[in-house]
Amino acid sequence: MKIRTLALAALAALALVPASAQTVTVMGSTALGPLVKQAAENYMKSHPGVQIAVSGGGSMTGLNQVVSGGCTIGISDVFATPAQDRTGIVNHNLVIEPFTLIANPRVGVSSLTPQQAEDIWTGKINNWNQVGGANLRIIRINRPTSSGTRAVLQHTVAHDKPFSDNQLIQDASGTVAKMVASTPGAISFIELEFLDLYKGRIRGIAYNGAVCDKQGVGSGKYTLISFGHAYTNPGKTNPAALRVANDFLNYMLSPQFQSTVVLKAGYMPVSYVEHLKARL
Amino acid sequence: MDDLLPATTLDAPGPPAQAGPARLRTAPLFRHSRLNRLADRGTRFVLLACTLLVVGLIGGILYFLAIRGAAAFIPMAGNTDKVATFRQVFLSTNWDPGDGHFGILPFVAGTFAVTGLALLIAAPTGVLAGVFIAKVAPPWMRTLMRQVMDLLVGIPSVVYGIFGLTVILPLVGHAWLADAPAAGFGVSAAILAVMIVPTIVSLATDAFESLPASLDEGSQALGSTRWQSIWRVLIPAARPRLLTACVLGLGRAIGEAMAVQMVIGNNPQWILLMRQATDQTPVLRFLFTPAATLTTELVQELPNTAAGSTWNNVLFAMGLLLYLITMLLILATRRLGRQEHA
Repeated sequence: MKIRTLALAALAALALVPASAQTVTVMGSTALGPLVKQAAENYMKSHPGVQIAVSGGGSMTGLNQVVSGGCTIGISDVFATPAQDRTGIVNHNLVIEPFTLIANPRVGVSSLTPQQAEDIWTGKINNWNQVGGANLRIIRINRPTSSGTRAVLQHTVAHDKPFSDNQLIQDASGTVAKMVASTPGAISFIELEFLDLYKGRIRGIAYNGAVCDKQGVGSGKYTLISFGHAYTNPGKTNPAALRVANDFLNYMLSPQFQSTVVLKAGYMPVSYVEHLKARL
Repeated sequence: MDDLLPATTLDAPGPPAQAGPARLRTAPLFRHSRLNRLADRGTRFVLLACTLLVVGLIGGILYFLAIRGAAAFIPMAGNTDKVATFRQVFLSTNWDPGDGHFGILPFVAGTFAVTGLALLIAAPTGVLAGVFIAKVAPPWMRTLMRQVMDLLVGIPSVVYGIFGLTVILPLVGHAWLADAPAAGFGVSAAILAVMIVPTIVSLATDAFESLPASLDEGSQALGSTRWQSIWRVLIPAARPRLLTACVLGLGRAIGEAMAVQMVIGNNPQWILLMRQATDQTPVLRFLFTPAATLTTELVQELPNTAAGSTWNNVLFAMGLLLYLITMLLILATRRLGRQEHA
């Protein structure tokens, strides 16, 4: 009798837990992952009964999964493709991901004008002495064609002109930094946080007279940025989970979260570029 | 539990005065009980299930690759773009997916170039090292070398890659290319060669050790020098197994992605670049122009492309092609193995 009651109670408890706990799954960008994980931990503390599971896979995986309904939120460093947009997914710009041009310290250049940078990436300029640096061949290290950062660079720096074919290609940011550090004459571009990790071995290059930092981005003078995105799919998510997901995203967009955790993680608050939104 | 130990049954007094082998055949290894028979059937089931699982997995992967690859050419549910034609993909050197050009020939050619070059370095080295270990080295060295080779096979490829990226590339660039990066077929092939040499050495050593000692002794008794006996007798006699060793090494080289993508430069336009770079000799141009292979392009692009796009589907077709090439190599190995027995 006693055992039976206990078993029944346990069963009831089991049945109740899933009913009250709302699970939200987040998939995608490995770069954004740590920030979202931190946000999820904070959020779950103040919202008992909510479960937020964050896993990686890469930006496109996140987008593919949110389109097919495989996760509640897909996080991505790139905008969804037009085909994905047509499926009715909704974009939230979470943070600004600033990235900076970098070069091997031996090039002897620490700043490039937009015209110089464009000429370097399109192949018009092939030696650092043409932009006031050392007599060194310029070695371009680009991202693969499918990379979102490459698309941003092509648009903002190369002004939609084709890149020079004479380039090395590498996708992983860490490997890019290592290659730039060990190749005299190398130029590339990288997420801001990696500049600190490889301090002294690679050099950040100011663009348009502005350094990639809070002030440069905040003043609108520094334009090499992309957004960290979160996509939801209202058509393929149950309403309860969607409500929690939206509330969670609102928490990440709150001034309190944006001005503390976001900054500490090497990103910048989206509010910095409110004035840029029309242009991007 | 005791009755599961065959030794006890073998020692147990069975029918006496029987010769060894016959007695083994008639003596029951396990005492038959219902439980044992059940366990027997259970074991069979588990073994069968494991085999089916493996076969199913391989078949499933092939099926998945074939479907996703076919979607590049045939309109299918889930496709988001126009499909490509066979000609555009398999007979073109123009790879510019953003503009709708999906020619994969540069990657196929790159794969064969870098693996061929690697084999050119690794095969002679591996075979000769095999002769040394099997026929020339003193016994203590033989044991040591075998252990070293086994260790080398176990090093993860990313370690070779990092070594190549941070040590070899700058070193070669500094020595021969006026500090320009040395990324390309040359360093990639060298690193691949280092990776497959242990495989070839191990198999070549086995091959030479399995030869009857009379071959070597006979040829030396007839007055041949050591080199003549190796070159004219041992290597021809072990040829089928040596070829198998090389093909297995080739198989490992073709599938390698991590190490190669760190040092090859990953430039799909390498054919164009090689034609343009006229300031260097053809050999240097071939060895040190940033290039790409099937595996490196898959590693770089697959995670960044959207499912259902032609770009993504063509990448799966490349994966399928790679799978088929590896399969052909395995079949070739089996054929070589059969030749040896014939």
